[in-house]
Amino acid sequence: MDALVAQYSQPSHSAQDTTLDDSLALSSKIAPPLSLNFELPPIDSHSAWLRAMTDDHSNPQCPIKIAHGTTTLAFRFKGGIIVATDSRATAGNWIASQTVKKVIEINSCLLGTMAGGAADCQYWLAYLGMMCRLHELRHKRRISVAAASKILANLVYSYKGMGLSMGTMCAGVTPTEGPALYYVDNDGTRLAGNMFCVGSGQTFAYGVLDAEYKYEMEEDEALELGKRSILAATHRDAFSGGFINLYHVKEEGWVKHGFMDTNPIFWKTKLEKGEFSNVTSKLE
Amino acid sequence: MVGKDCVAIACDLRLGLQALTVSNNFPKIFSYGSQVHLGLTGLATDVSSVSELFRYKVNMYRLREERDISPQTFANLVSSSLYERRFGPWFVSPVVAGINQTDGKPFICGFDSIGCIDFAKDFIVSGTASDQLFGTCEGLWEPNLGPEDLFETISQALLNAVDRDALSGWGAHVYIIEKDKVTKRLLKGRQD
Amino acid sequence: MASLFQQSMPSTGPGYSFASAPTHHSSSGPRQHAFYPYTDNGGSTLGISGATFTILAGDTRSTSGYNINSRYAPKLFRIGGDGPENEGARIVLSVVGFAADGNALKERLDTMVKMYRYQHGKEISVHACAQRLSHILYGKRFFPYYVTAILGGLDDEGKGALYSYDPVGSYEREQCRAAGAASSLIMPFLDNQVNLKNQYDPASGEGLEKVMRVPEPLPQETVEQLVRDAFTSAVERHIEVGDGLQMMIITKEGVQETFTPLKKD
Repeated sequence: MDALVAQYSQPSHSAQDTTLDDSLALSSKIAPPLSLNFELPPIDSHSAWLRAMTDDHSNPQCPIKIAHGTTTLAFRFKGGIIVATDSRATAGNWIASQTVKKVIEINSCLLGTMAGGAADCQYWLAYLGMMCRLHELRHKRRISVAAASKILANLVYSYKGMGLSMGTMCAGVTPTEGPALYYVDNDGTRLAGNMFCVGSGQTFAYGVLDAEYKYEMEEDEALELGKRSILAATHRDAFSGGFINLYHVKEEGWVKHGFMDTNPIFWKTKLEKGEFSNVTSKLE
Repeated sequence: MVGKDCVAIACDLRLGLQALTVSNNFPKIFSYGSQVHLGLTGLATDVSSVSELFRYKVNMYRLREERDISPQTFANLVSSSLYERRFGPWFVSPVVAGINQTDGKPFICGFDSIGCIDFAKDFIVSGTASDQLFGTCEGLWEPNLGPEDLFETISQALLNAVDRDALSGWGAHVYIIEKDKVTKRLLKGRQD
Repeated sequence: MASLFQQSMPSTGPGYSFASAPTHHSSSGPRQHAFYPYTDNGGSTLGISGATFTILAGDTRSTSGYNINSRYAPKLFRIGGDGPENEGARIVLSVVGFAADGNALKERLDTMVKMYRYQHGKEISVHACAQRLSHILYGKRFFPYYVTAILGGLDDEGKGALYSYDPVGSYEREQCRAAGAASSLIMPFLDNQVNLKNQYDPASGEGLEKVMRVPEPLPQETVEQLVRDAFTSAVERHIEVGDGLQMMIITKEGVQETFTPLKKD
């Protein structure tokens, strides 16, 4: 009886640890480890230590603040895929930068977006770019978006629990798949879909996007919708803002449609179209 | 912020719950009498309560004394009122700006949440963007600015400071207080 | 991107405003770890790039808590070049945060830049050096260097190049960047004066019609004066900044170093 109780009353994390170790050991036998050599602190609980040092959400006094905060979106429509992001990086309440490039050009037909830890996204999407190029050289054809996103998903999965922070979308058009859009995050989640918004301002972007989205949109309508959704998010979400970075992915490759300051766009939208009537432009 | 025979006080207009911007028309400056202005940052419910509390106290003062309150007297009123709540403070950090009508001299001061007065000859800052404001004010301010130059200085100091703080911004109000006139202006700030 | 440290005052110090009141963690708070390998040595750095030059600057005070360790501890390092003094170097690294990590980082980058020259027979470009630095920082993603780095040099076209980093290696090329303890004081001032943020052309209309001013690269004398102004302002309002201002100006002639005293109080 005591043994039975002990078996079921052990803390859940220790049970998880064993399965995690087992699965890691298993995965390294099947395929070569994707993990590179990263220096680790000389203690047992790396991830708990790292969280205490860097996670300003669970510990606002943490000494190392890593840049966070974002609104990114991507959606499929008949003319391809629209990818749009804001450009703000925050560390706590401090706005560390207003000019971050959150769309990462993996190659001429593939885009990645960046939400979460800036360094994690930059580094691993650059690494993904390398893997995609190697795939092209080995197989003499471009990698599919499904395969590219899976490389990334497997990679972050191999680091699961270590404290990586990324919510990314892979968008591309290939002859086999057509326009394809995948969402990959640090838990190892990988989802195919028509429309994703990621980051602290995602709910605000979904609000506009869901209301106006139609698959049969024209290209200019789709670009305008992407821009307007980000604008709404930058307005209401404190941790999003700066510039709107707009891309259109087509069969021939992606096209950049500008890195535009939100401020003039906001006032144009307000004064010419009469939207954002909550903002006062006259002193009463 | 102090100028030559004038003072200026400015605030942003945001009211938010962490990341969510709830209102973009929440002024934090309140005027008491013709010349005395109080800026309040901190917990929004306390900002409203404290501003109403001082409206009551200043009106009572005016009825008893049959004159407007001077900024110096008002500062001491603020200080003692805050200290009354020493062990359960109002979560606000106030700023007072005004011109003393008897000698015509500008007066500004700031407080912590329990009423310690910080008298200053140059500028006072408070709120979530106070670090940024210290930087911009220290960099842009100079002594003896006229009303128009003071307006430009305080506006640039405030706008650029709140643009580096995620929790402030969404427009601003500026008051330029001279001996016989107060000018209020609305600034067009970034809306992100 | 290059996220900056909020200044970290010792939380046991006298805090009287509710905003900075010391918060004591009870058992329900975040877990405290005995392994704490970092010290914040304070100080601030700043970099501005122009059309034909890049200026990096840093104060020379080194603190721990309320104590001053040294009044002359440079935060600017020449990378590459020859001999112990790195003569002829064209790249400058500034690091602020934990000085020991900063020193280790400088040594690693310097070694790598020198190895590059021995292996390839040419100087490394700033672009390549910037990416290398990013990878060095990310190599310690799970045990970070407690530093914010700024790298300055001239790009292939001879224009000023400035790269800023966060502690784990996300980087971006920028016109100007302040890092360290007083970054929150200096950065908005620089936004206004270098990138002309919130400045409108007075002749371009009235009220909401006004057109924003467009930033252009500033002349070297203006930038030097801005740097001095930024630091004298920061010294007034931040206890971890002061003593001396070290500046390195990178032009096609090489790196010119200057030193200006700051207040020592």
